[in-house]
Amino acid sequence: MKKITATLIKEWILLRRDVAGLLLLFLMPAILIIVMAMVQDAPFRDYQEIRFDLLLVDEDGGSLAREIKSGLKASKNFHVIDSLEGSALSSGQLQKLLREGDYHVGIVIPNGATAEVVNSANIIANNISRKLGLGGTMPSRSTRDNRYVRMYFDPVSKPTFRTSISFALDRFVTYSCSNLLVQRISQLSKLAGDSAEMNDDFRKVFAGIGIKEEVLNDTQGDKTYINSVQHNVPSWAIFGMFFIVIPIAGHMIREREDGSAVRIELIPHALRLVALGRILFYTLMCTLQFWVMAGIGLWILPLLGLPALYLGLHAWVLLPVSFAIAFAATSFGYFTGAVFRTTNQAMPFGAISIVILSAMGGLWVPVELLPPVMQRVAMISPLHWSLEAVHHVILRNGGIGSVAGHILFLMAFGTILWGISIYKNVSRARGI
Amino acid sequence: MSSAIEISGLYKKYKGAWSAALDGLSLTAEKGRITGLLGPNGAGKTTCINIICGLVRADRGSVQIFGHDAGTQIQTVRSLIGVVPQQIALFENMTALENFRYIGSLYGIAQVTIKERSKNLLERLGLAQHADKRVGRYSGGMKRRANIIASLLHQPDLIILDEPTAGVDVQSRAMIHEFLKEYQQAGKTILYTSHHLDEAEELCENVVIIDEGRHIISGSPKDLIIQTRKQTDCRKLEDVFLHYTGHSVRD
Ligand SMILES: Nc1ncnc2c1ncn2[C@@H]1O[C@H](COP(=O)(O)OP(=O)(O)OP(=O)(O)O)[C@@H](O)[C@H]1O
Ligand SMILES: [Mg+2]
Repeated sequence: MKKITATLIKEWILLRRDVAGLLLLFLMPAILIIVMAMVQDAPFRDYQEIRFDLLLVDEDGGSLAREIKSGLKASKNFHVIDSLEGSALSSGQLQKLLREGDYHVGIVIPNGATAEVVNSANIIANNISRKLGLGGTMPSRSTRDNRYVRMYFDPVSKPTFRTSISFALDRFVTYSCSNLLVQRISQLSKLAGDSAEMNDDFRKVFAGIGIKEEVLNDTQGDKTYINSVQHNVPSWAIFGMFFIVIPIAGHMIREREDGSAVRIELIPHALRLVALGRILFYTLMCTLQFWVMAGIGLWILPLLGLPALYLGLHAWVLLPVSFAIAFAATSFGYFTGAVFRTTNQAMPFGAISIVILSAMGGLWVPVELLPPVMQRVAMISPLHWSLEAVHHVILRNGGIGSVAGHILFLMAFGTILWGISIYKNVSRARGI
Repeated sequence: MSSAIEISGLYKKYKGAWSAALDGLSLTAEKGRITGLLGPNGAGKTTCINIICGLVRADRGSVQIFGHDAGTQIQTVRSLIGVVPQQIALFENMTALENFRYIGSLYGIAQVTIKERSKNLLERLGLAQHADKRVGRYSGGMKRRANIIASLLHQPDLIILDEPTAGVDVQSRAMIHEFLKEYQQAGKTILYTSHHLDEAEELCENVVIIDEGRHIISGSPKDLIIQTRKQTDCRKLEDVFLHYTGHSVRD
């Protein structure tokens, strides 16, 4: 035990003095996380989440326009602009602004739209009243005009954008029209002398119906979606953790070259304990790396206007997960240091293999977006298993049971590589 | 006098080499003496030392260290010997003291004892002021001396030094000699290799000359000179060496 502690201290002294190694372990992934999370922030949100500037021209001035406007303003998706420098927007200005490309969508509520809807509603209400024998009638004219709410788009906007916006607007218009109709009928019933409660019932007609999205989580309350932060923090943290290959392999090869490895071998019963101490040290370092990166996601990214990292309902599961990832990464480093003779061979192998394994494992692009063949290839990348395990916890609110397989795979991967390295080290000493 | 090292019929051929590095080498080193292992480049000195300490495995032959077989009891043997390798076997990014603390701990020595022994040895070898300097920033001679200290922390009975004075200046060399003599007077056995024959002549009570992995001749430098004088003009150990190993360049 004392020999392992001594090795931990010695590795710490050496790593502390290896500035390049420290920067590689902590600064590189931190920068990657911040930059990538910022860059991919917009692409990761879909139209539902982004607030659009929506130009609105109100030529109507009636209750329909008021309803549409307040509905749009209440919606999280739109930021309604209906006046420019203090005066109301005109249809001509709206078209000019869209053509210039500063805004992407605008609507015009035409003059007389309210009157038209009210007229239609009155006609329907009168019909109902007559058929049910309620008695009252409301003023109406028989000629009907077309008063469409007109939509305008920036010419370069994509078709999917147009459809999703027009669906959203359509809903508001339909809702406002239906509302008016209900109001008319309720007015009729008031004329017929019904009680106030009944009128309330009319008003509540739309409450509690419609569509509402629910998130698939194992418990209610917390909702997480994949977003830039949830994807990039684990991805680049894992990428950075596996880069521990570079300092480990570097230190091991340097020690063989400068002869200090021989010194360890000359000490009775020390070799294996030293190897154990080294693996332990770097595994702890690497686990620390994970939590530093998680800390960046929790506290630094929100300062930059990004959502904070969400750790799921069973955040403690990340402890064994991060340890298993760290062990796999460290063993990979130990393996690289044991198999290659010179740093000139080991460094490019280490760096390139991590980049390839991370691309394969879905760290750059989510695995779901990879072609089917690559999705199957991803299964052999330890970085894929690492990312999947973290995703289970932070996106799917998974517990320890959901990641046990991943942990097992990572530990087995590490153990096998470590076994090969020890064998390789011993045979190097003996076999020459 | 019983022997500290008993080597007999040692044979070693490296993988891929076309001739043997050691070809039936036999030699003995007596307890409490300084023995010089001499030979031209590539004679097999380092190979012989590496087999003694278990870094290289011999194909045939046996090595006994204080009666322990190096083939089967290597851990015991390692605890009895202090090997000073030909390369500087220290962590360059750590100070001398940090190195000694770590190496000492791996030998299982208590921290206070390590501290005391390193302090003594550092003073004795003129490194006391540089104890807290990183080994990587040492001069060649300082590195050699620190390399020796690291091998003596566990106070071995047998010290094996592979060219401890290679590339060191006259002052450092004298200091190392003085130190080795003192160590011998404390009852320790020393085996060392060198290419400085005048140094070996002055320091060693016994020398073994090997070439091409074979034992050529051994004895006290004085006896060897007298013996060789019968065949050729010979005044110093170098003449003996050249007489037996020839003038052609090796390696
Ligand atoms: N690791 C190795 N692999 C293959 N051949 C080796 C190896 N080490 C040494 N040799 C060969 O074995 C022979 C003996 O080498 P060794 O290093 O033992 O000689 P030496 O007497 O120590 O030489 P020097 O005085 O130059 O240090 C040489 O021919 C050398 O080339
Ligand atoms: Mg040598």
